[in-house]
Parts: sequence; C-alpha cells; structure tokens
Amino acid sequence: MSFVGVVRKDLLDVRRSNLLRGIGLLYLAFTVLFFWGTGSSGAPNMYLSLWSMTAVAVLIVPLIALVAAYLSVAGERQSGNLKFLLSYPNSRRDVVLGKLIARSIVVGGAIAFAYVVGLALALYYYPDVAVGDFVAFVGLTLLYAVVYVSIAVGLSAATGTRSRAMGGAIGVWFFLNVFWNAFPINPNTIIEFVANRLGTSVSQNLKDLVWSLSPTGAYMNSMQLVFPDSVAQQTGQATWIDPNAPFYLDGWFMLVILAAWLVIPPLLGYWRFQRADLG
Amino acid sequence: MVAIDTTALTKRFKDVTAVDELDLRIEEGEIFGFLGPNGAGKSTTINMLLDFHRPTSGSATVLGYDAQDETDAIRRRVGVLPEGMELYGRLTAREHLKLCVQMKDAADDPDAVLDRVGLNDAVNRPVSGFSKGMAQRLALGIALVGSPDLLILDEPTSGLDPNGIQEFRDLLRAEAESGTTVFFSSHVLSEVEAVCDRVGIMNEGSLVALDTIDNLREHAGSGGVVDLTLESVPDDLSLGQLAGVTDVTIDGTQLHVSCATPQAKINVIQHVDRVSTVTGIVVEETSLEDLFNEYTNGGREGSGETERAAEVIA
Repeated sequence: MSFVGVVRKDLLDVRRSNLLRGIGLLYLAFTVLFFWGTGSSGAPNMYLSLWSMTAVAVLIVPLIALVAAYLSVAGERQSGNLKFLLSYPNSRRDVVLGKLIARSIVVGGAIAFAYVVGLALALYYYPDVAVGDFVAFVGLTLLYAVVYVSIAVGLSAATGTRSRAMGGAIGVWFFLNVFWNAFPINPNTIIEFVANRLGTSVSQNLKDLVWSLSPTGAYMNSMQLVFPDSVAQQTGQATWIDPNAPFYLDGWFMLVILAAWLVIPPLLGYWRFQRADLG
Repeated sequence: MVAIDTTALTKRFKDVTAVDELDLRIEEGEIFGFLGPNGAGKSTTINMLLDFHRPTSGSATVLGYDAQDETDAIRRRVGVLPEGMELYGRLTAREHLKLCVQMKDAADDPDAVLDRVGLNDAVNRPVSGFSKGMAQRLALGIALVGSPDLLILDEPTSGLDPNGIQEFRDLLRAEAESGTTVFFSSHVLSEVEAVCDRVGIMNEGSLVALDTIDNLREHAGSGGVVDLTLESVPDDLSLGQLAGVTDVTIDGTQLHVSCATPQAKINVIQHVDRVSTVTGIVVEETSLEDLFNEYTNGGREGSGETERAAEVIA
C-alpha cells in the first residue's frame, strides 16, 4: 500500500498552499452567508434552503475541486518533483491514487468544515432541522466534490505540462458545467434537433437521463434520496415522485452515474500516464 | 551478481536516437563513472534504468530485476539522484527525509543523514530557500536513505562547491567500502578520475570506451607532452624519426613534443640532451580531459579518433 507515502507527502505539502487555503475559506464564506442570510429572514425551511444550497454547490464545488487538483500530477511532472516520489518505492499507480486520495481529503475537508459551521447556524436560526437529512445532503455534496477531484486528477495524469492541464481544466468546466446543463445549446437540444430532422421525437425521460449524465445533473437529481416528496413538489421535480419513472431516473442510478465519473477519469488518466516518458 | 545490465537498450525520440543499442554491464561493488558530453545519452540511459523513460527496444536489469516490470523491487534497493529532480519548496529538509524513511521502511535517523551531507544547520528550513548546492546535498541525502545496494547518481556534483565535491568523494568511497555499488554520471572529468574504478564514455548515444582509467590511457596511445627549453635550437633535431613521437613544434627556444608512449618521452629528452643544452623540462601526462576529448571528437585532432575508441571496446 505504498500510495500512503504519496498521500502523506501531499497532505504535508498542500496544507501550506495559500491557494488551497483561500478556496477553502471562500466556500466557508459562501456557506456562512447563505445560512445566515436565509436563516435570518422570515420562516426558513431547511429543505428549501438546502435545495437552494445545491445551486451554490453546483457553482462553486467544481471550481474548488478542479483548482485544487488540476496540477496534482502534471505540475509535479513538469517541475521534476515527481522524480522524488518515483525514485522511492512508489509506482505510477500509487502516484495517481495517492494524489486522488490526498486532494479528496483536502477538498472534502474544507467542504465538510464549511457545512459543520452551516449546520451550527441552521440549528441556531431554523425552527426545524432534520440533522440526518442535512448530513445526507453533505454526503452527496462531498461525493460530487470528489467526483470533480477525480476528473481533475485524471486530467492531470493525462497531461504533461501545467498549461495543458489548465486548458483541460477550463475545458472540462465549460463542457460539463456550462454546456451540458446551463447553455442554450446543450446535448439535449442537439439530440432534439437531430431527432426532428430524422422525423422522430425524443421522450422526456430520455432527455432527463441525458441531463443527468453529467456530474452536476446526477448530483442534483440524487437529491431525491434526501428530500421528502413535499420538496419535490415545491421545487417542481415531478419525476422524483413519479412511481412510473424509469429506473435510470431513480436516485440510486444517479449514484451509479457519479460512481462512473469517480472511477473512469483517473483510470483513463493513469492509462496515459503509465506509458508516458517523464522529464 | 551484476548491478546493472543493459542489452541493446535503445531510446528514440521522434527522429533523434538518444541511446543506440547500448550494452553495459556494471559489476557489484565497483564505482563506475559514466562520462560523456551533454546530450550524449547518459541521462536518457539512467532514466530508462529508473523507468522514467520507456525504452524503444532492448532491455535492462538493475540488481537482477527487470527495469520495466519490477520497479518496486528496484526502488526498494536503489538510492537515486535523478537528473532534474525538484524538491518540495514548502517542505523542510527534515520533512523530506522523514518521508523518505517512511516510504522505504528504513531505520535511518533523518538528522544523521542530514549531518552526513553537511546540512545539519538547515534541517528545519523550507527547501524553497535552499541554494543549488544545498538542494544537491539534500538530494544526495535522499539517495542514501535505506542503505541502498546500488547508488545511481546523475550529475551528483552539479552545484556543489569544491569543498562539497571533496566531501562527496569521501562519501562515495565510504559507501563503496561498505559494499555499495556506485554508478554515477558526470561531465566533470576530475570527479571520475578521482574516485572511479572503471569508466564508460558515451558519445552520441553509444558507448565509445569502457575500461579502467589506466587502461584507457594506455589504449588511447598518447603518452603525453614534453616541453623543453633549450639554450639554442640546433638546425637538425631529427626528432620526428624517434619512435612514438607524433608531433614536434618549435617556438623560439621552446620545444613542444607530443609523444604516444611514456618511453618516447624519455627518448626525446635523452636525444635532445645529446644535441643541445636543455635548461628547462616540463613533462605532462595525458590528462583524462585530453582522452575524453579524443573519444568524444571534441579534441584538436578531431576525426580519426573513433577508430581508436572502437579498438578499446573490442
């Protein structure tokens, strides 16, 4: 289990990084402002607040995770740091795995800390807090964060220079976060356009699935595992409570999608990295 | 047991052949100097031994383990100072060595290692504030952790001051005495001359010489240069007829005679002494530098030297 050495080194190194401290504090600031703001106005509902909180998470978590991990392998490869790790009994697989674990701990730790503070504020301001569901929400958000760390580490392992890793990270963010779920032209409009041309139509279920295939779509739809039916109605998520919805729109299938995003990018990155000439 | 063994090891980058069918065998227990000018293929060879680069063809073993398939076993037993290794600026010297001890399950005391490489007054300083020489000392310490059976050091003396170089030589000798095989590359010839049992000279991806330094000198055929100062130079010296004399130049009363063998030098001095009055003698042995220049085509004589080099290998 020699990836432990890589994890140990990385945690020691990264905790002194001002950049990573900064983005951790940023997330804390957003969370505090959010719970303070929603909590101190009117009669707050925890679930509706958490549903709004997913929007904040979708905006910031991918950025934090990508920034925290896009240089994890490529940066060390370009500078020559990697030769320190690889001169010792650490394999290239250990490097990728160790980086994934270490950066997940850092990002996950910062997010978890922000929500501990958020939970304290919620308990203070909100009349009713379901702690179990709050923790489940945090758990899904952490999974979402780790998925993005995973994508960034995989990308970093596949590239040889800092500039390419940065280009890749920006590309990933734009593709998965802007294009897929929030752009006027997105995979669904493209599929619809093609189907129209072919003279057929696309079912709403299929479009919902396509939307959920991105980490962000899967994360938001995975919230049906946490929120009660009343929230689904209030937020207009009809499929969450539709008993006839296909399995691929169920909450558990969202976890399958997230798991795929967690595993596949690092594997592809390792596959490239493992064959690369270093320095 | 063989410490390093390469068989037709080849590395091509696009259209450049960095290492061309290299066959190299380093026995256990020796100090081996791997010489060559920049770009000769030394670092590429070492990178392949360490699995940083994948060979285009051929194979290599380190301590009997396959350099591609058994990297873990190799990294456990080898101490490495790779070319272009960068340390972690935010970590201190001691933190680096602590990590090393943990990663190798070694019994070393980080402070003792730092003391050995002369960094005992900088243990708690972040490496970002280190000079090049200090970083090199730390890198050397990192290579020593875990009592390796083999040290592979790529340009270990770069950045060291003369004092540091002397300490480094002592350290290598101490390691070799305790049974460690040392393989190190350098383009600083005096390093190699001072500590190595054997040397290999690389040029343009191929090994052009592989022998002990004494043997190399002999094979290279240039015994050295005799500089004589005469009261007056006679018209007819006929030095060119002496066996082993390769070149004669006269500069005023200065006589400059290049000789191929040690005997030729003696003959030259005796001959000149008979026909003239000698007021000053300087005899220079062929320096390793001259030798190196010959093998790598960098010397004054330039071409024609590769044939000689081929002889040495044969």
